[in-house]
Amino acid sequence: MNGQLATLDYIVLCVYLGGILALGLSLGRKIRTGTDFFLAGRSLPWWAISMSLVATDIGGTDIIGVGGAAYSHGMAVGNFEWIGCVPAMIVASFIFIPLFYRLGIYTIPEFMERRYNAFVRSALAACWLAFMACNLGIMLFASAKMMSVLFGWDQATCIWATAILVGIYTCAGGLAAVVYTDMIQCVVMIGGCLLVLVIGLIDIGGVGELKNRLREIEAKQAIAAAQETGAALPDQQMDPDAKIEHASLILPVDTKSPFPWTGILFGLAFILSPAYWIGNQAIVQRSLGAKSEFEAKQAYIWGAVLKNIIPIIIAVPGLIAFVKYPELADGDQAFPMLVSQLLPTGIRGLFLAAFLAALMSSVDSYLNSASTILSHDLYKRFLNPAATDERLLIVGRTTTVALVCWAIMFAFLVMDMKEGIYTMFQTLMAFFQGPALAILLPGIFWKRANGIGAGAGFVCGVLFSISLYALNQPLIYETLGLQPLFQVADPFLYFSVWAFLLALGVLVVVSLLTKPEPEEKLAAIFDRHKNTKEPTA
Amino acid sequence: MTPLHHIGNFVRETLLLIPLGVVRILFVGILALLLIWVLQLPKSETTQPTGSGRWYDNLKIGASIALLIQIVIYSVL
Repeated sequence: MNGQLATLDYIVLCVYLGGILALGLSLGRKIRTGTDFFLAGRSLPWWAISMSLVATDIGGTDIIGVGGAAYSHGMAVGNFEWIGCVPAMIVASFIFIPLFYRLGIYTIPEFMERRYNAFVRSALAACWLAFMACNLGIMLFASAKMMSVLFGWDQATCIWATAILVGIYTCAGGLAAVVYTDMIQCVVMIGGCLLVLVIGLIDIGGVGELKNRLREIEAKQAIAAAQETGAALPDQQMDPDAKIEHASLILPVDTKSPFPWTGILFGLAFILSPAYWIGNQAIVQRSLGAKSEFEAKQAYIWGAVLKNIIPIIIAVPGLIAFVKYPELADGDQAFPMLVSQLLPTGIRGLFLAAFLAALMSSVDSYLNSASTILSHDLYKRFLNPAATDERLLIVGRTTTVALVCWAIMFAFLVMDMKEGIYTMFQTLMAFFQGPALAILLPGIFWKRANGIGAGAGFVCGVLFSISLYALNQPLIYETLGLQPLFQVADPFLYFSVWAFLLALGVLVVVSLLTKPEPEEKLAAIFDRHKNTKEPTA
Repeated sequence: MTPLHHIGNFVRETLLLIPLGVVRILFVGILALLLIWVLQLPKSETTQPTGSGRWYDNLKIGASIALLIQIVIYSVL
């Protein structure tokens, strides 16, 4: 695709970027206080938050990566957007989001201190901050790398341009700018990917033809594999009604794909997905900025409806590429290959805008949320508890600028590191998401859970998941003369399950062995859950 | 082999015994249970306190659409 962008493509791109910047800056003129900056003055409508939730969840690298995973492993990657999102969003909307909204909190770590203690708040804030700050650099680098491959642009220029552009409107407009620009980015992203899907399906002859050709390729691969190993050809490959593994969501435990049903159900649907939609500051923060508690819930519900279309527009093009170009060396080339081969001039510019939209909507959200954690969980909590709302606005903008500088620096730093660092940071998130959920749930449903138990559970859970990761590294298990602990390639889904269970067990035991939290502290959480309807600052 | 390996192998071998048809019923069943829970929620939890009659202000409709799509997807794919 390198060098194939025409003037019309660049015009489409410039119109999009100019519009986003203008919108962000115009919203910035209305910002007067910290509450305006961090929670958009609690004025956001549900429809804008819904689209922002979806846009934030899909990064630029996800568009390429999910399409690539669908090419390599099949439709099972769609689980991450379907059962890995929708049920958790619905449960979150009716149970957790109303509670957080009524408490008037700014951050999830802030909730942890109200329920437990300052240590739990600080530990969780430190984990999220470290992850978000590093992930900002990773997202900038990974996307710049992709733009460099796709369009021949200089990586350093891409990093600088994206960071400065996103930094300007996020710094000026805070959460409101993030959410309203995300809304436009969501439309552009869905529109761009939908075009690739429709044109791809027309080119291939429709859904029926796609299934037929997937079946043919799988049958050929099975015959080739059987001939190679001398094994008998499996009967099901001859059956025209047999399931096509590349189009299946539910894969057996011993599948070669990284997505067996056990990891999807226990690791993704039960642990990582609720931890993400209930405990991820970048996600939850926008619902805390809703006009009302009802609109906060409404945003999650309609976001869940919208979520249902994402795998269709992102993963199915990967399947189309699989039947059109089955010999690609790297699955991540699937989406770019379709774009370069199928899309006409002007439309390619729209896809590039969609790619940038996905990237920017994630970067701006992490930027704003990391700034909120720094301002509230560090500056206001420990350095200046008497800080006014106006003072917090200055701190919020300053930390946003500092985070942009950090992200640029980190992006250049990771350029020199080995490949696979993006996967490594996803794994790092899995280290603490399971334990974080394990202390969040009892904090809401079990009065006997206390701060000492939560602190011990969180620390043990994180250390345990790090140990599991270590025991799965060849250097470690070969030195110890052991077998690898897990038999799938990237077992982060399993780390989260075991770390969750251990953290929960430690929390229960330690809480029962130590004093319960004072009744008045618990009343602030449990009674408010039943009675109060208005948020308290 | 550490105790963790033994536990892991036991869990893996046990789960391998479950047929994929049963797993599919499990996936769809979880989604169906969630749908039933949503449909049983009190009206105060699922509609605007101001009593707006607009369809998109009824959260049961939105949640049911999302879950029904999921049920169809996991029944078919």
